[in-house]
Amino acid sequence: MTARRPPLRLASSVGALTLGALLVLGFTPLVGEISRRVDAAPPPGPADAIVVLGAGAARDGVLSNQSLRRLVGGLVLYRRGLAPRLVVMGPGYQGGPVEAEVRSTLARDIGIPADAIVVEGGGLTTQHEAALAARRMREWGGRRVLLVTGAQHMHRARLLFERAGLEVVPAPVVEISPAVRRPDGRLELARIVIQEALARLYYRVSGQL
Amino acid sequence: MGDSLYLLGLVALTSWLAWRGGRRWARLDGARLRPALVRLLECAGLTVGFYVLNVLVGFAAVLVLRKLTGSFISMYVNTDWTLTLLSAFQAVTFQWWRAESE
Repeated sequence: MTARRPPLRLASSVGALTLGALLVLGFTPLVGEISRRVDAAPPPGPADAIVVLGAGAARDGVLSNQSLRRLVGGLVLYRRGLAPRLVVMGPGYQGGPVEAEVRSTLARDIGIPADAIVVEGGGLTTQHEAALAARRMREWGGRRVLLVTGAQHMHRARLLFERAGLEVVPAPVVEISPAVRRPDGRLELARIVIQEALARLYYRVSGQL
Repeated sequence: MGDSLYLLGLVALTSWLAWRGGRRWARLDGARLRPALVRLLECAGLTVGFYVLNVLVGFAAVLVLRKLTGSFISMYVNTDWTLTLLSAFQAVTFQWWRAESE
């Protein structure tokens, strides 16, 4: 008979830390409080254009929740008269419809004038979107944009847009409320915060920020 | 805190029922619960290990595939939550493999 294998000590320690983190992040309001403080932004002001970043659409043309929330954020800013143009972004994914075109159709359907909508469906990454927006703005002779994206994504997006030569007025959209009460919502918020932190790290390491 | 307390209370109740049932009907040894909890921590740690490995390999795979195929694959595919579940399956299988090898 062989001896029973000893526990994997490193795995046990990581497991204890993980379960502790799970309890703190999922069962206390901590992540919501952090998100609320980090992602706070002043009220948006006037600009030359509103730029709504892409966030995905399904193959049948249904916008993702994030995409729809960002679009609504952009529509509200346009309705407030904060900019004369609404630039909707978002590419087509794996043979699906182009997100920017879906958004454009929706915006027209709810009464935004067609000549105020600019469809920019070529941006595959945030950096790519920044370059495309900067090119459009150069064509129009403006440089101040109201940037509409998720609150957690805003910091990285803003840096990339500024690096592309644009003046950014952040208009973050709440994609998951920091006041979410259920543990699954809190863990999803924590996942997005961690994902964005890793994305920033990747952009810095690869020299894009 | 209402939802959180409710869920924790629910799990505490069913855990207590399992403890009572295990002792009374399945005749489980109460002293072996502690090592079982250590195994749980081990499994959680292995899940994290597999998850990190999956994300890192996935990240590299996306970069390589972008280069080789010239088509765009989103990095976000590596953060799909089902990867957590699959990593947990990998961890449980690895643990059972260790146990079966004893």
